[in-house]
Amino acid sequence: MSRQDTVRKVSRRAFLQVSGASAAGLVLGFRPTALVSPAMAATGAAPAFAPSVFVEIATDGAIRLYVHRSEMGQGARTAMAQLLAEELEVTLGQVEIVQADGDKKYGDQNTDGSRSVRQNFVPLRQAGAAAREMLVASAAARWGVGAGECRAQDGVVHHQASGRKLSYGEVAADAAKLEVPSEPKLKPESEWRLVGKPLGLVDVPDIVQGKAIYGTDVMLPGMLFATIERSPTVAGKVKSFDPAPALAVRGVKKVLQLEPIPAQLKTLGGVAVVADNTWAAFEGRDALEIEWDRGDASENSEQFRQQLETLVNGDGKVFRQEGDYAAAKGSAAKSLSATYHGPHLAHAPMEPLAAVALVQDGKCEVWAPIQDPQSARGRVAAVLGLPEEAVTMHVTLLGGGFGRKSKPDFILEAAQIAKSMEGTPIKLTWTREDEIRHGYYRGQNAQHVEATLDAGGKVTGWRHHTAFPTIASTFAPGVKDPQGFELGMGLHNLPYRIPSIQLESSGIASDLRIGWLRSVCNTFHAHAIQCFTDELAEAAGKDPVQFQLELLGEPRKLDFSGHDKPYGFDTGRLSKVIEAAAEMAEWGKPLPQGMGHGFAAHFSFLSYVAMAMKASVEEGQIRVHEVHCAIDCGAYVNPDTIEAQMEGAVVFGLSYALHGEITVDGGVVKQGNFHDYPLLRIDEMPVVHVKLFPANGNPPAGVGEPGVPPVSAALANALYKATGKRYRDLPLQKQISA
Amino acid sequence: MAITFTVNGAERTLDVDERMPLLWALRDVLSLTGTKYGCGMNRCGACTVHVDGEARRSCVTRVGQVAGKEVVTIEGLSPDGGHALQRAWIEHNVPQCGYCQAGQIMSAAALLQEKPQPTDDDIDSALRVNLCRCGTYQRVRLAIHSAADELRRGGVSSAAGGGER
Repeated sequence: MSRQDTVRKVSRRAFLQVSGASAAGLVLGFRPTALVSPAMAATGAAPAFAPSVFVEIATDGAIRLYVHRSEMGQGARTAMAQLLAEELEVTLGQVEIVQADGDKKYGDQNTDGSRSVRQNFVPLRQAGAAAREMLVASAAARWGVGAGECRAQDGVVHHQASGRKLSYGEVAADAAKLEVPSEPKLKPESEWRLVGKPLGLVDVPDIVQGKAIYGTDVMLPGMLFATIERSPTVAGKVKSFDPAPALAVRGVKKVLQLEPIPAQLKTLGGVAVVADNTWAAFEGRDALEIEWDRGDASENSEQFRQQLETLVNGDGKVFRQEGDYAAAKGSAAKSLSATYHGPHLAHAPMEPLAAVALVQDGKCEVWAPIQDPQSARGRVAAVLGLPEEAVTMHVTLLGGGFGRKSKPDFILEAAQIAKSMEGTPIKLTWTREDEIRHGYYRGQNAQHVEATLDAGGKVTGWRHHTAFPTIASTFAPGVKDPQGFELGMGLHNLPYRIPSIQLESSGIASDLRIGWLRSVCNTFHAHAIQCFTDELAEAAGKDPVQFQLELLGEPRKLDFSGHDKPYGFDTGRLSKVIEAAAEMAEWGKPLPQGMGHGFAAHFSFLSYVAMAMKASVEEGQIRVHEVHCAIDCGAYVNPDTIEAQMEGAVVFGLSYALHGEITVDGGVVKQGNFHDYPLLRIDEMPVVHVKLFPANGNPPAGVGEPGVPPVSAALANALYKATGKRYRDLPLQKQISA
Repeated sequence: MAITFTVNGAERTLDVDERMPLLWALRDVLSLTGTKYGCGMNRCGACTVHVDGEARRSCVTRVGQVAGKEVVTIEGLSPDGGHALQRAWIEHNVPQCGYCQAGQIMSAAALLQEKPQPTDDDIDSALRVNLCRCGTYQRVRLAIHSAADELRRGGVSSAAGGGER
C-alpha cells in the first residue's frame, strides 16, 4: 500500500498543508493520492519495519500505530492505541496514530455492537509485543548480547549491564529481517502502564483548537460543494424537475438527477445541486421545483400504533417457552398486564452526514465519517462499477455516529455526483432536516407484558409479546418478521427465574428505512421489562430492588445464542451491579416531597448496568436530578472513557425518554430539526455518579451501548413514585403535558 | 460585493453575497472548519463564534452583518490552545466525539468575559443553546468552573485569548 493512501491525524508534525485557500489555512492530515504533490510525497518516510498491519516504524524513526476502528466519541482510537503502545513499550506522545483506510487486511473494521475493545484486547497487544520482541532481538544481536539482558522502554532498547541503548528507528531495518513471533509474551497486568489507566482521548488537544478533522471538514483543492433534495418517501422518485431556477443562483455549477438505488440499503433518489460553496448549493436547492412520484407510501404514526397494539394483544410467534403460561394463568392468585409503546427515533449525530468523493482515472477516493469502511468501499465499487481495489476509503473522525454512520448511503450519493464530474472533488453535505427526515430509524414498537403471581406474591408466569419493524427489511425487501439477533437484544435472554415463560414476537412493515440506533432493540425491551418489574413489585407488595434480586435468584450462567464465548450471562454479576447502584443511591432513604426514585438494570453487549434515578415534575416539566450508575464490563482499557460513556448514555437515554419522537404521515417524516426533535440540553442534565467494577478476571465487554437501555425505565419508574401515575408511552414529557 | 471584516486578528475581504451565513463564509471560503454546522437555525450552537466579543451563532448571522467587525473563531481563541478553557477542557477530558465542542468553548469564553465566576445556573442559561449529543454536559460545567477558578487565581492565560485583541 502506498504511504499516500493513508489518512493521518493527531501528530501535529505529520500534518500537511493542503488547502491554499487562506492564510489562516486549514491544516489537513489527509493526503489525497490523486492530488499529492512531490513536496507532500517527501514528508512521510517509508516503513522500514512493519511486522503487522497495526505497527510500523519508518526509516526516519517515526513510530506509527494504525487504528482500524472508527472514532465517534466512544474512545476507540485512544483505547486501541493504548493496547498497541502498552506492549510496544512506547508512550502515546511518541507515536503517530494513523486512522486506517477501509481494507480487508485489517480484519473486521465494522465499528458497531460495542466491540472495538472486546475484539482487539488480545490481538493488538500481541501485535505490539511481537514488534517489541523483534526490535529487542535486533538490538541484542547488534551488541552480541542475549535478548534477555535487554529491555525496551519509551521507544528505546537498553542493555542494562553496559548502559548502551538503541532507538527503535536505529534497529528497525534489522528487525524487518526477522521472523514475526507467532506467540509473543504479553506483559502481566501488574506491569501495565497504559491499559487500565484513565487517559484523555488522543484527539482532545486538536478538538479544543478546532483542528480535528471530521468528514464535513475535508477540504481539497478545486473542490465543489453539493446538496441533494431527496424524495420525501423511501419509495419515491423524481417525476420531473426544472433545473433552471437553481442554475440561476450565483455559484451553482450543476444540477443533476439521482436515481434511487433500492438494492443498496434503499439509497434514495433525488436532485443534486453542485456549487462553489455549501450555502450556494442550499440556495440552489431551495429554488428547485420538483414533481415527485411518491410511490407506495401510506404510513401514519397513529395507525401504526393501533396496528402494533392489535398485534401485541394477540398471539405472536413464540420464540422461547418454558413451563406452561396458560396453566400458570389459570391457577394464579393475581395477574397483571401492561402495554408499552415507543416511537420511531432518529439518530441526530451533531455532525450531519457528509462525504467527499473524487472520481478520476477509473478510481474513486472517498473521505467520510463512516463506521463500516469496508462495506462502504464495496458498495461504492458496486455502484460505480469499479473493482474494489479501485476505491480508497479514508475514514475521518465521526461527529457522532450512534449507528447512523454505519450506513454509507450518503457516500454512495457523493460518489454518484463525483462520477458525473470526473476530476472534481465533491463534498456532499446533508442538512439537519435531511438527517432527521431520511434516516434509518429505530422502529416504532409495542410490548405487551403480563405476569401471574401466587398468593405469596411470587411470580409464577411471564408472557411478553414484542412487535416492531425489523432492521432486516432495509437489507432484504419483504422481510417482516423480527430476527433472532433483534429478539436476542434484551428479551430472549430474560434472566428471571420464573417457572413459566412465554416470549412472542410479531413483525410489521414500515415505509421508513429501519436501522440500528445505539443499543438497538435493547432500548425497548429493557424499558418494558424494567417498567413491568416495577409494576409487579408493587402488586406483590415488595421493594422493586429487592423484588428484582429475588427474581434473579441464585447466580446462574445463562447460555443464549449471541453470547459468544468466553462470555455468557452471569446473573450474579447483574445482581451485584443492582446492589451496588442501590447502595450508591441510598435506595430506600426518604426523598423530599414530590421527588421519586426509580430503578432499572439491564444486561447488554455482554456488560451489566444498573441505574437509580431521582426525578420530579415541576410546573409540568420533568426534572431529573441525580443518577447513580454501576457498570461491570469486565476488563477495561480506559476507565475515564467508561465513566464518560455512562454520562453520555444517561444523556442519550433521557433525550429519547423525555423528548424523542419521529412521527410519519403518508410515509413522510414530519420532524426536521432540533425544535421539533429536541435533544437533552445542559439545563436538563442531572448529576451522574458512576461506579466501575473491577475486572474480577472477566474478559472485556461492551461500553458504548450498555449504559443506555436502563435509562428510560429508571425515569418512568421514578415518575411513578413522584406522581402516582404509570406512564407507559414514550416520550414521557409529552405524557406529562397531555 | 466585497465585505471586509477581521477574522482572528487578520483583516479579510470576501467577494461573496452579503446574505451568505457567516458560518459558510468561514468554512467554505476561508477554510476555517473549526466552526461547525449542526442545524442552520440557531438551535444547536455548534457554529458559535465571537462577534465584537459576544457569542453569536454564525449560521444565522449574515456576512453583511459583520462588515467592519471583529470575528473570533475557535482557531483564534488563543494562539497556541492555551486559553484557560482549552486547558480545562483537556484536564477534564470533556469531549467525546468533539464536534460540538468548539461551540461549547466559544459560548463558555463569552460567558467568562461577562461573568468571571459563573454559577451552575449561569452556565446553564449561557450554554443552553449548545447541544451535545454525546452528553458531555457534566464535564462542560466542571471545566468552566475549573477555568474560572484558575483565572481568579491569576492563571497564565487570560480569558481573552490571542484573537481577541
